[in-house]
Amino acid sequence: MIQITGLTKVYRRGRPPALLDLGFDARPGAVTVLLGDEGAGKTTALRLMVELERGLGITLFDGRTYRRLRRPERELGVLLPSSRPTAGHPGQRARSHLRMLAGAVGVPARRADELLEQTRLAAVADHRLRSFSPGMHRRMALAAALLGDPKALLLDDPTEGLSPRNEEWFHSFLRSFAVAGGTLVVTTRSPQEAAAFGDRVVTLDRGRMLADQPVAEFRRTRLHPEVAVRGPQMARLADLLVGHGAQVRRDGGAGLAVSGIGRTEIGELAYRHGILLHELADRVVEQPAPRVVLPTGSGRSGQVRVRSRHRDAEPVPAARPQSPPAAVPGEPSSGGPLFEEPLPRVSRSRRPSQESLVPVVERSGAGLPGRESGAADAPTAVIPSVAAAETEAERTVVLGPPVAAGPDLRPMRRSVPPLFRDEQHHRTEPEPEPEPEP
Amino acid sequence: MRVLAYELRRLRGLRSTWLILAAVLLCDAAVAAVLARQVPDGALAVPTAVRSVAAAVPLLPLPIAALGAGALGALSYGHEVRHPGLAASRVAFGRRVGLLVGKSVVIGAVSAALAVVTLLLDAVAVRLALPSSVDPAPAFRPDVFGSDPAGLLAAGAPGRPLLAFALLVVVGGWAGLLTTSLVRSAAAGLLVLCALPVLLEPAVGMILRQAGRYWPAWVRELLPFQYGLDWVRGEPGAAAVGPDPVLFAALAAPVLVLLVAAVLAQVRRRAL
Repeated sequence: MIQITGLTKVYRRGRPPALLDLGFDARPGAVTVLLGDEGAGKTTALRLMVELERGLGITLFDGRTYRRLRRPERELGVLLPSSRPTAGHPGQRARSHLRMLAGAVGVPARRADELLEQTRLAAVADHRLRSFSPGMHRRMALAAALLGDPKALLLDDPTEGLSPRNEEWFHSFLRSFAVAGGTLVVTTRSPQEAAAFGDRVVTLDRGRMLADQPVAEFRRTRLHPEVAVRGPQMARLADLLVGHGAQVRRDGGAGLAVSGIGRTEIGELAYRHGILLHELADRVVEQPAPRVVLPTGSGRSGQVRVRSRHRDAEPVPAARPQSPPAAVPGEPSSGGPLFEEPLPRVSRSRRPSQESLVPVVERSGAGLPGRESGAADAPTAVIPSVAAAETEAERTVVLGPPVAAGPDLRPMRRSVPPLFRDEQHHRTEPEPEPEPEP
Repeated sequence: MRVLAYELRRLRGLRSTWLILAAVLLCDAAVAAVLARQVPDGALAVPTAVRSVAAAVPLLPLPIAALGAGALGALSYGHEVRHPGLAASRVAFGRRVGLLVGKSVVIGAVSAALAVVTLLLDAVAVRLALPSSVDPAPAFRPDVFGSDPAGLLAAGAPGRPLLAFALLVVVGGWAGLLTTSLVRSAAAGLLVLCALPVLLEPAVGMILRQAGRYWPAWVRELLPFQYGLDWVRGEPGAAAVGPDPVLFAALAAPVLVLLVAAVLAQVRRRAL
């Protein structure tokens, strides 16, 4: 059991903290994944946990801090990245390196040989570390962390930069460690890995803890299965799919990303209507983590993009024929003051953007992405909408809440066919000032 | 004990250890042989014999064996900095100091062994390389080695400078370890180690001079800059006889300063 409370690290006074008030529990028998991008504070968190860096907050390993552990190697194995990719001195042989560390840990030398067997390095044990590949180095480092037969493991990005085979081996090995009752804290950058590997996912973003979720909830809220469809007649298929209640998004030149309907059903539908398909594949799309919110009026909150959600039945607010239908999404004000009326409350801002700086840790339970509570909390009055639909007869594509502004989920920017015309970006304004129609 | 096992296995597992030891022995034997070839004719004086056996060349700041021991110490600490095997378990101050003490013990033992082996090997080399015109009897008397230890350590006998040589080698190993612990790089630590005698020998000599003393002959034979200093200051007075508290204080002060600096540096750090 590892209890982490209030880990905070400020590298320089006046700078934003590299880590702010991180707190979670890692339970035995479970894999706790720290998920975050580069610079989110994952490594800092691990280094703070073993007190390699000075910082605030306390980490208890079975009720003791790391320094107070009598035999730290027997309690906790640590795999931290060093500045060099090698596990040890390049001139040392693998066996002698592990035996040397076994001497420092205080376990017999045959334990080193055992671990070489377990990490599939026994065949190369008498070669120098200089000739080892990154995957072998990582396995050596894991073997070194396991020397004292610890009850818990802290691993910093153990599978980063490894081949898929090595990655798979790492996952199964660590999974078996957790099944045997070990406590495991792993960091990763990939949400897919976190979902596949973890039992509990703690999401970090720029030092702030965004969420602490069981993996089922994480999968539901942060990962989103969809079907990639590609073919020459996508507009027609999109119409059919929308008619069947699916959520359709344009994906590249001649592709659709469909969610809410199975792959086989899409194939059958296309077959029945004689639509040619070139590709039909399942995939998992990552949803962006909810961003840490800046306070209102800081000058930057106006840049947050929010995509709204329309429904067919929704009343179209004030159709304007003179407004250019294919307005460039990034600059909606190019055609004059377009903003008029706030969207009805159905429209979801997936980012609770205009809230003041609520401590995120408290919100993490309630304000999860895509959840109704968090969406309902967001004030919708500040989201002016571009009334884009020209006629009511035109069918609109429903944009589901999972489809948010990610790098690969951008709406198309030019030559908008009528089908997709309502996909617009809206800007949230710092001040809710609906500009009057001229 | 765990630290000693760790350090012994570390030293044994690295090729550089064996390379350094072999290089030191080879160089020492070669230098000793060359020095022996240049011994003037006649009876072999004890100081000349000692200088040949210790292979003290005035070009080098320290005897070769002391430099080799210093390199071992520097690499020992540099290994922990460059390739920390268990970085997380070295966070606590006590563990780091414990590791440093363990490393000192092992490096000291290895250095002492290196000094003894060097002396034996060099004695053989000198004996073999002596020109036929030199009479080795005064220095290589069989009764010197067979007689009682007190006689061996007497003022004119070769025992005392040879003991000083072994001590210098051990201190060189420790100093390499400690200077590297200050600068955290094996190469820089070795350079500082080479600079230390250059700074310390004149400084300590000056302090001794203030106290009305001079380097005793058995120390002077091993120190590199004796010739220059003697030339500048003229002939030194009578060599100090017997153990001298001022002399030992002057010799121990730099060592103590280095030790305190190393421990203070560890207090400030989180890793070795």
